[in-house]
Amino acid sequence: MSNASAGSRFLEGLRVLVVEDEAIISFLLEDMLGDLGAADVRHAGNVRTALAYLEQHTPDLAVLDVNLGGERVYPVAEALEAKGILFVFTTGYGKNGIDPRWAARPVVQKPFNVEGMTQALRELLPAR
Amino acid sequence: MSNSADTRNDRPSPVSSLALERVVRSPAALVENLPIGICTCDRDGLLVQYNRRAAELWGRAPALGDPDTRFCGAFKSFERDGREIAVDESPMALVLGSGQPVRDRELVVAKENGERLTILANADPIFDDQGNLVGGVNCFQDISEITKMRRQVSEGRRLGRRVMEALPAALYTTDAQGRLLYYNKSAEDLWGVTPKLGEQLWCGSWKIYLSDGTLLPHDECPMAVALKEKRALVGPEAVVERPDGTRVSVLPHPTPIFDSDGSLIGAVNMLIDLSDQKRADAQQRGLIDELNHRVKNTLATIQSLAAQTMRGTKDQGAREFEARLLTLSRVHDQLSSHSWEWADFAVIARQTFSCLRGSANSNVQFSGTAVRIPPKTALALAMVLRELAANAEHHGALSTPAGSLSLSWRVEDKRLLVDWREVGGPSVSKPRTRGFGTRLLERSIAEELGGVAHIEYAAAGVHCTMDIPLPE
Repeated sequence: MSNASAGSRFLEGLRVLVVEDEAIISFLLEDMLGDLGAADVRHAGNVRTALAYLEQHTPDLAVLDVNLGGERVYPVAEALEAKGILFVFTTGYGKNGIDPRWAARPVVQKPFNVEGMTQALRELLPAR
Repeated sequence: MSNSADTRNDRPSPVSSLALERVVRSPAALVENLPIGICTCDRDGLLVQYNRRAAELWGRAPALGDPDTRFCGAFKSFERDGREIAVDESPMALVLGSGQPVRDRELVVAKENGERLTILANADPIFDDQGNLVGGVNCFQDISEITKMRRQVSEGRRLGRRVMEALPAALYTTDAQGRLLYYNKSAEDLWGVTPKLGEQLWCGSWKIYLSDGTLLPHDECPMAVALKEKRALVGPEAVVERPDGTRVSVLPHPTPIFDSDGSLIGAVNMLIDLSDQKRADAQQRGLIDELNHRVKNTLATIQSLAAQTMRGTKDQGAREFEARLLTLSRVHDQLSSHSWEWADFAVIARQTFSCLRGSANSNVQFSGTAVRIPPKTALALAMVLRELAANAEHHGALSTPAGSLSLSWRVEDKRLLVDWREVGGPSVSKPRTRGFGTRLLERSIAEELGGVAHIEYAAAGVHCTMDIPLPE
């Protein structure tokens, strides 16, 4: 399903933070990112855990679910922006589901396949 | 004056009747017949003379020179507010007391039988040749009917005002130049200011914006347009800002007002507050967003479960499952963005191929314009097209670089006609078993949508046509 043949392993060696409150969906993301070559995929299920992780670590990339069980992920987006870390949003909401402040950031609609995720990440990392 | 009057009297009379001529030539007879009450008093206010109309208006005929009837022959008289007028406050008494005329005094005369008349009195002093005040003359007429009509008009006006005041919608009027003439309480509340009548132009609000946020100068507001172009408008929607910064969305309804000759005399504008509607809309949008979010998360969960279940297997089925799930999900996106009322077939047609890998996309040609289709049709068509596309990718025209596919559609007689034609691919033949795609095509297009579907496995490539009824 999320096999790497669709794209290259262009995330080779990167550390990725996945912020997603639903465990089963986070498995899919971790597998997809792993298949794309990510070296280290860390998971946070809420804003607090994500921010705590970011105080200690500087991942190369992040994938943020907009709605974490009713809590918005935007504080994590701000922390990432402050550290200059690139990220994409995932959401089940339509295009209008993102706060206008972040409207210019790439968004991947749920459910997503490896092609959709690859396309969004490639836009973030054109050099790879 | 008196000379010309004499001259007039000396001319040969054109009057044919002797009786009428007598009346015209005798001042006393003329006065007696005037259709206006005339009453003359001496210096002391004793009645010297009055005519027939005066007696009619008083409802009595008091004796001349009677010391008990001074200044006025009426039984009783009152101010308009109901206060009784003492005899020495009557117009004649004032004239004799001051030597000054009394003009257009309105009062109420009560007859002995209880009848009341509204009277307009004009009284003048009379002087002798030496300038001594010798008496006064009062002429008076019944204006009861006029007064009644005037009252009706002003009560009508007052009623109109009260209606406008009580309206829960903001309402204001201007003259033809756009100067504010009136606004109600709702308008004042909406504006958050109390503009000066007769000065402020076009609209009483502090600031107006269009719904895209650009400032709208007052002289370009809908009311100004309605007055300048002399036509009624509805909208466009605008945002009124109060001095305290709060904003209200309104839909203006400016309507010019013309007099009976068709000249513009002003305009009325009603501002409908859209806040409640906006709130309800936002709430509905929020609910749809929330529903969408939950459905999508559930689909993503199913997708992940399938991926975990089939992980490691080399089965193509895992990819097929994911692609079908994503197709379903993308139609949901399209429908959600149009409140689950419709989707655009042109978008769905193009989305079909976005799941395909690599260069397959560039060999597809689309031809057709936007067509609104209902949710059920959108879901069925999206699934059918995906199966056709997957088939083309694996076995048909999209499996080789030389192959190409054209997907065209048009609307004819409330029917959507779709034509799928593959060319240049490997030679195809009718499959031995009926797969999901074929079954879906037959059942969803024919049975679910009441349309007609035909698929032909020609050697040159698959050709599929669909004919689907659209709602009115």
